[in-house]
Amino acid sequence: MRRLSSLAWRSLGARSARSFLTIAGVALGVAVLFASLSAGSTMDAAVDRAAADEMGRAVLRVQALEERGFSSAAVHAAEQAVGVSVAAPALERQTYLAVSPSQTASAKLPAPVTVLGIDPVREIALHDMPLASGRLLTATDGQSALISETMASQERLGVGDSISLNGTVAAGPQPFRIVGIVQGDAPVPDAGGRLIFVPLASAQTLFGTTGVTRVDLGVQAGTSVNSLTNQLERTINSEPYLLSRQADLAGSLRTEMADFRSALLLVAAVVLFAGAFLIFNTLSMTVSERAREVGLLRAAGTTRSQVMSFVLLQALLLGVAGSVLGVLGGVCLAGLSLSWVQSAGPIALAAPAISAASIGIAIVVGLLVTLAAALEPAWRASRIPPVEALRRGPAAGVAGPARLRWLFLIFGVLGVAALAIWPGSSGGAVGTGGVAAGGSAMWGPLAVYGLFFLAVLLVPLLLGPLLRVAGIPFRVFRNEERLARSSLARDPSRTALTAGALVVGLAMVVALGTAAENVPKIGTAWLAETIPGSEVLTSIRPVSTTDPIRAELAAMPGVRSVSPIGLFGVPYQGVRQEAAAIVGRDYLADGRLVFVSDGGDRTAALTALDAGGSVVLPESLADQGGIHVGDELTFATGPSSARLRVAGIVAHSIPAGSQEAILIGWSDATDLFGVAGADFYAVRYASGQESSSRAALDAAAIQYAFEPSSLDRVQGAVGDALDRIFRLLDALALIAVLVAGLGLANTYSMSVLERVREIGVLRATGMSSRQVWGMVVVEAGLLGVFGAIVGAVVGLIAGALLVAWSSGGFGLAFEPPWVSIAVAVVFGVLVSIAASIYPAGLASRFSIVRALQHE
Amino acid sequence: MGSDGTILEARNLTKSYRLGNREVEALRGVSLRVRRGEFVALMGPSGSGKSTLLQLLGGLDRPTSGEVVLDGQVISRLGDAQATRLRREKTGFVFQFFNLIPLLDVYENVALPFTIAGVDPRHGDAAARIHAVLALVDLLGRERNRPDQLSAGEQQRVALARALVSRPAILLADEPTGNLDYASGGEILDELWRSCDELGQTIVLVTHDARAAAHADRVLVVGDGKIRDEIELGRRADRRAGPLIARLAQLGL
Ligand SMILES: Nc1ncnc2c1ncn2[C@@H]1O[C@H](COP(=O)(O)OP(=O)(O)OP(=O)(O)O)[C@@H](O)[C@H]1O
Ligand SMILES: [Mg+2]
Repeated sequence: MRRLSSLAWRSLGARSARSFLTIAGVALGVAVLFASLSAGSTMDAAVDRAAADEMGRAVLRVQALEERGFSSAAVHAAEQAVGVSVAAPALERQTYLAVSPSQTASAKLPAPVTVLGIDPVREIALHDMPLASGRLLTATDGQSALISETMASQERLGVGDSISLNGTVAAGPQPFRIVGIVQGDAPVPDAGGRLIFVPLASAQTLFGTTGVTRVDLGVQAGTSVNSLTNQLERTINSEPYLLSRQADLAGSLRTEMADFRSALLLVAAVVLFAGAFLIFNTLSMTVSERAREVGLLRAAGTTRSQVMSFVLLQALLLGVAGSVLGVLGGVCLAGLSLSWVQSAGPIALAAPAISAASIGIAIVVGLLVTLAAALEPAWRASRIPPVEALRRGPAAGVAGPARLRWLFLIFGVLGVAALAIWPGSSGGAVGTGGVAAGGSAMWGPLAVYGLFFLAVLLVPLLLGPLLRVAGIPFRVFRNEERLARSSLARDPSRTALTAGALVVGLAMVVALGTAAENVPKIGTAWLAETIPGSEVLTSIRPVSTTDPIRAELAAMPGVRSVSPIGLFGVPYQGVRQEAAAIVGRDYLADGRLVFVSDGGDRTAALTALDAGGSVVLPESLADQGGIHVGDELTFATGPSSARLRVAGIVAHSIPAGSQEAILIGWSDATDLFGVAGADFYAVRYASGQESSSRAALDAAAIQYAFEPSSLDRVQGAVGDALDRIFRLLDALALIAVLVAGLGLANTYSMSVLERVREIGVLRATGMSSRQVWGMVVVEAGLLGVFGAIVGAVVGLIAGALLVAWSSGGFGLAFEPPWVSIAVAVVFGVLVSIAASIYPAGLASRFSIVRALQHE
Repeated sequence: MGSDGTILEARNLTKSYRLGNREVEALRGVSLRVRRGEFVALMGPSGSGKSTLLQLLGGLDRPTSGEVVLDGQVISRLGDAQATRLRREKTGFVFQFFNLIPLLDVYENVALPFTIAGVDPRHGDAAARIHAVLALVDLLGRERNRPDQLSAGEQQRVALARALVSRPAILLADEPTGNLDYASGGEILDELWRSCDELGQTIVLVTHDARAAAHADRVLVVGDGKIRDEIELGRRADRRAGPLIARLAQLGL
């Protein structure tokens, strides 16, 4: 047929409302996909920019693992390496602006500042410092400082003002004069924009050290980074360090956002899945409505493949229109999403990136899904025999399994597409140890996706029994309910397909709700299992183990123990492994730290930690390395590496970064790993004394510049960011429900049009138009309740899976997300009923006479 | 009801349909009376307006002008709610095709008027009445069958049972035998006649077929939107078509 395309156009135009709904469904799916891709590339761009800002023109960053930093010998060794053009050392420390006496009474600590001691000449050779005002530091500067623009505006400071920085107790607060203001946030991700540059020597005096925390290296043209790396490994052999390139920095930043990105993709896949249902349903309807027409075409000599391409062409038109609209909508959606989330991990997010690649991917995926969904109806149309032209009445339905076959196809297409565009796993091997970090981000969502698929396949089986249950709320309308239920059961596979999209959308909402409800609890439970106390006092600077503050705090009334914990990195098998210095004795008193069955003797292990020469490993790390109790681990601490015996293995250890820390006794931590002191104190109160003693302890802690917070508050800060992300994902999942709603509207209209005669008979028998209306609406309500029941159950299972994935096997009392379930049920039923309002009105307004004449 | 026992009266009915910008006059002034318990057949060529007339008599549609009075009530200007009540309580319909709800079994289809009215059809008077009409159409024992498990004739008997079960003031049938073979059609006609003869059911039957019309007490011949002739046959045991065909031939039909 020459004019196949014009026939396809007209066929879509003949049912313009239906075509419009379908395009809207595809567009929503593509929009969410595009938004998710665009959010992903925005994050990538932000990460790359942050990494580039941080590294400047430096090719390699040599970072000291020990808190006291590199000695001048190590800096010298880096400087002398062949091929190095510039070596810029720096000392990074956090501190507070010295508060004036009038401010000390305040019950809250001010935000800390990050001080970067630099060599003014060398630093500028590798890092641009665009000035907003004033001048740069020079080699002759002493107590001079550059501050970031952000900090200047927050603290209302300007060039020429003086600031006073807290240093070591010995050094006391020291004054600095601001000579210049650097544009923007200044490039240290964790500083939150509050950055102060001072000359290196002044910083070293302020913090009472001779070390530097990093040396950035610029290289001469033609120098191979690999050979330089090898060289440094030979020459800097007395102190543990970490080498990173720009890509490694970006990679480690990126892993922090991987979960968010894969969750976004999962939601996009779910919305597209719902969109695919819509396309499939629309085309199926068109095909069965036009069976007679197709029969006529066939009788007139149209070939099967012509019929098939006719249907596929219609799909293509829908797909193109939907995808293009979807990309447009996606741009807005991405902007909204990013401004809602604001930041992911340590990186602030800017305007959405609109790359040709993400536009291309979104459109291609949109079209692929459309075509995949269209294949089955197209194939079915091509099988319509010419005799269909002679048949009276609507075409006979096709059996269930045949219809469900297409699901496999779409599932596969979406799965493959998801794998193809999965955010690349983290870049460098150096820099991250990688304990169960990368892989789980992908498999969790994939498993959930698979579960949803299974659920849709099960829907036809559940339909009969569950519809009875779903009918209970509608028993008031007895006849309507009865008729509606049997009408839904008439074509289980179509009902299943319609309900399937609803089920998946609602399941997503409930799954996200489950995760949102339970993931923060895991964090709290984790801390509760591994921190010896109910409150932590955090310090931005390491507090020496000999500092009298600890004893003073421990002596306060109601306080039972104050246990110092220091977090640090250890070089193990060429990568940085997180470690925590703890007092084993403090854990003996209560049941914290759960030793696994072959994890050694608790008392012996904890005592051994304090004695030195031992470590306690988290199970995840022990499993990964095949390490058992009694094994010896070697840490490359310097020329003579340290060997420590594994005294025990615990189910969970103190969380640090994205890992679990190796537990090490304080004597080893200070002697072998150069740990300067505790990062926080864990406070345990005498039983029943917490409420009465806490206020006094907190006040005292703040005096010493400790930030007091209860364990759930520690989690709370992370939780707030997480909460925003979950709510965004929830909103996107509701879009899936909306798309399902469009499918429902299509199906209800179709089913009403199929039943014109039947409705005529019912009306002639005495059914009022109100009752007809009610019948259609109750049918929708039934399907909504059905979808909500199945969706809630599937969503709970999926949520439990997601939670289990991130819980590290915590046996938590699982809390069902009642709010999300309520939202899903109400939204599901409402969407379903809303979708039926128009078809119900249509059905109730049929003229009886016309309806009876209808064939 | 008129003093002469009239249960249904049409006064000067007209009905025109609009087809695009063309008017089709389906009825051009029809008046008729049907007495309680009477069996009236409407005959006439295709397109003469029989179905249109039947729809107006049963209140399924409104006339363009004129009036229909059923059981003392003017039904030709009713609102939707009143019309629905009328259909529930006073009229029963049987059509040529597709009378049954395919999802419901025989019992449920017959019980539909009760179900729709919110009366439980499993108990009491309703159940007794359903049993009685199922017995009348000889379908006892087939209650649980679905329509697609029945022959066309059996399906039509179910439709008849449903139309009779609410004991309507008037039963309106539009070519109920049009889709059936000779024997099944005969059964339906016999049952219609018995419901009239034994239960006193008033019936208006539209048909093409002289054999069907021969069961009636009176035959009205419709042509071109008007009643052309009236043939009084009277109630009789011998319902062969011969005499009617002869009369129709006399009238040149
Ligand atoms: N809904 C309608 N719209 C327009 N014209 C109609 C409609 N219904 C009936 N007509 C026209 O009214 C006239 C009478 O139709 P009607 O169905 O009453 O005839 P009938 O005698 O029942 O014919 P048949 O024996 O073929 O059933 C016909 O010309 C028909 O085309
Ligand atoms: Mg007719």
